[in-house]
Amino acid sequence: MSVLLRLDKVQRHFGGVHAVDGVSLEVEQGSIHGLIGPNGAGKTTLVNVVTGYVPFQSGRAWLQSDELTGLPAHRIAAFGISRTFQNIRLFKDLTALENVLIGMHTRRRDDTLAQLATLPKVRRDQRSRMDDARGLMETVGLAARDIAGRAAGTLPYGDQRRLEIARALALRPRLLILDEPAAGMNPSEKQGIRELIERLNEDGLTILLIDHDMRLVMGVCKRVAVLDFGRKIAEGTPAEVSIDAGVIKAYLGSASERVVTSAPGASAAGDTELAGEVSAARPAVEPQNAILEIEDLTVSYGPVNAVRGASLRVAAGEVVALIGANGAGKSTILNTLSGLIRPDSGTAVFDRLDLTRAKPSAIVRHGLVQVPEGREILARQTVLENLELATWGRRDGSAKRTQIEAVMKRFPILGERRALRAGTLSGGEQQMLAIARGLLARPRLLLLDEPSLGLAPQMVDEVFKAIQEIHDEGTTILLVEQNALRALEIADRAYVLETGQIRLSGTGDELLHNPAVRRAYLGG
Amino acid sequence: MDFFIQLFTDPVAFWNSHTLLIAQIGINSILASSMFIVLYSGQLSLAAPGFMAVGAYTAVLMDLYWHTPLALNIAAGVVFAGVVGVLVGLPVLRLRGVFLAIATIGFIEALRLGVILNLPITGEGLGLKNPSADPLGGINLVLGCLVVVLFLVWRLTKGRLGAAWAAIRQDELAALSQGIHVARYKMIAFVLSAVLAGFAGALEAHLNFFVDPGDQQYGVTRAVQILTFAVLGGSGHFLGPVVGALVVTSLPWVFEQAQAYINVVTGVFLIAVIVFRPQGIVGRGGLAIIRPWWWPRRNVRAPAPG
Repeated sequence: MSVLLRLDKVQRHFGGVHAVDGVSLEVEQGSIHGLIGPNGAGKTTLVNVVTGYVPFQSGRAWLQSDELTGLPAHRIAAFGISRTFQNIRLFKDLTALENVLIGMHTRRRDDTLAQLATLPKVRRDQRSRMDDARGLMETVGLAARDIAGRAAGTLPYGDQRRLEIARALALRPRLLILDEPAAGMNPSEKQGIRELIERLNEDGLTILLIDHDMRLVMGVCKRVAVLDFGRKIAEGTPAEVSIDAGVIKAYLGSASERVVTSAPGASAAGDTELAGEVSAARPAVEPQNAILEIEDLTVSYGPVNAVRGASLRVAAGEVVALIGANGAGKSTILNTLSGLIRPDSGTAVFDRLDLTRAKPSAIVRHGLVQVPEGREILARQTVLENLELATWGRRDGSAKRTQIEAVMKRFPILGERRALRAGTLSGGEQQMLAIARGLLARPRLLLLDEPSLGLAPQMVDEVFKAIQEIHDEGTTILLVEQNALRALEIADRAYVLETGQIRLSGTGDELLHNPAVRRAYLGG
Repeated sequence: MDFFIQLFTDPVAFWNSHTLLIAQIGINSILASSMFIVLYSGQLSLAAPGFMAVGAYTAVLMDLYWHTPLALNIAAGVVFAGVVGVLVGLPVLRLRGVFLAIATIGFIEALRLGVILNLPITGEGLGLKNPSADPLGGINLVLGCLVVVLFLVWRLTKGRLGAAWAAIRQDELAALSQGIHVARYKMIAFVLSAVLAGFAGALEAHLNFFVDPGDQQYGVTRAVQILTFAVLGGSGHFLGPVVGALVVTSLPWVFEQAQAYINVVTGVFLIAVIVFRPQGIVGRGGLAIIRPWWWPRRNVRAPAPG
């Protein structure tokens, strides 16, 4: 087998962040090659470098004998690398057919002058291109007759994904790069995409597949490369990769030493257990008098179902973790609780307040406070100003000043840096600031969304220590984390979310040793 | 009302009494086509009055100093406008959206205030006399040219070039991934638009005995007027800005009776159109200008089976 795409030590930094750090990769002609890694691992950046959207800083790339290094994006496309985008980028106001026709740009002779004369030959060419485009739409499973004339932006979500693939195929690519083609799809749509990918591959197309859905990647790929923090940490067959200790650590996060040895999947033996045993392990620890009760919650973004019938309860004084892979619907649940998104159906009640109806401001006043993902601090204001703004709506002048002082005592680093702009703090310090700001709203239930996102391991320790302390002082916490092992360590109970549904629940300790948790992240 | 009554009952008398208006509609329609091309390729450029000025002054100066024939004067104006288009396009086409709009406004003001009002050859602030102008006879030339321009623009949107422009307007990154050389196609659109604006400028100069360097003529006011053609008429179809030019140019005559309040009345009319038909008078459907709600939406180029 010959090599189609070859990358040699490709590097790309953004400021001090090593988004892609010396990645070498070989994709064989006719194969389906998977590229996986946790959120922020550099997968999309690598694709952007290869396709010319982001310049190389060092390293080289070839497509067979054609060197791609340093070429602009449109030249690379003309060489035969075609791609789809993580967040669909169709030409929304053009019709589905026109979208596919534009995909033929590189192999269409320039007919601008011939068009002026409207020659019969021009019309014949146009007709054959349109037949071609309809054929491609049928190939990806779209009914050309029904949708060819509809504006691309009005198509259902799954059809838009397919149309983007049809447009990419119109280029007659040598290599097709699919960036999360199954994102936001329900299981049956995912199955359809999987069959499509396999069919295209059988017709001889080489595919580089990036996706968070491990079942999909592990199912169709012959080889899989794993990225973490911009580096390739493993490569091999799906079976090899899914039991690789480094990969498991990258996905499930790092726990403190005592846990790693007994972590799910740390030994290959855990692999043989059946998921069936797991549901039997579901304990009757659901609290009777919960402060937060969610029943059968369903939330969607337009046509995408993000959360499908989730139910969970949190009792006063608990730390409850909500874990699951990227895109499982964790943040959506938190945003629904905060009143930022309205659910399609189901109930969510916090201490007799109906969260599906109440205004976000009323929810905060009632004592349910969210510390959002990505921290959302005001980077150009000082630390002190950030904290003062959090108490802006309160009228108890002196009390809030003492509380700000108290918060700065609990996070001494914030006290030291009170006059610095918040944007100059490190990621961990910014997270502390975001949590401190949340505390100033005097929460009875604190929602923490991905507090460890993008932090170095020792900072993760600090943040989790702070969370533990806040809990010890009596605040109830609902914690959303990708770093599952870390979250399970401090959680009283936890729920495992997979594609919008709660798959497992149990005490933190039970789930910590449950191999099904690993499957929820890595597929199986 | 008199305006419409005369138009429908006695078109010959209408033509004779409104020759200047009709010629102005023709000129504005060519400017609207110039605006259409940049908007169709996704660029908010307001540079048209600048290129008009280049075309107009070039043509008139040729006539004044060298007494060359009209066709040559206009051709020279068009070519020079195109050359200036390339020179302006090279630096400003890196910009997008409002930033491009502001940069092009900078260009037209720099040209008008900095060059035209200061050079002795352009008459400084006094403008130029143009003794060989032909206000009444020019109308046939203008309308003839308009037909040719509209045909060219219509065909351009149908070919590979037009498809590339539409793709760039919708999503530049996605257009790149289809192998479209975005920078080149944007430049082609910008220069073509400059050429058309220069053409309109040279023709307009031929209709007036006096080239006036005022803001109404080659400044921001004119740029905003041309933009209004496109916004009002709709920029998704080549006829949209032309219909916009027709409506905006004839409004003062249509609302003649409002007299002192004419600007208020036309303003309210424009706001009403934009509120009730934000996609412009002509939608993407083309000539289905006033499609009744029960009329089926035309599917774009229905497939021929087999």
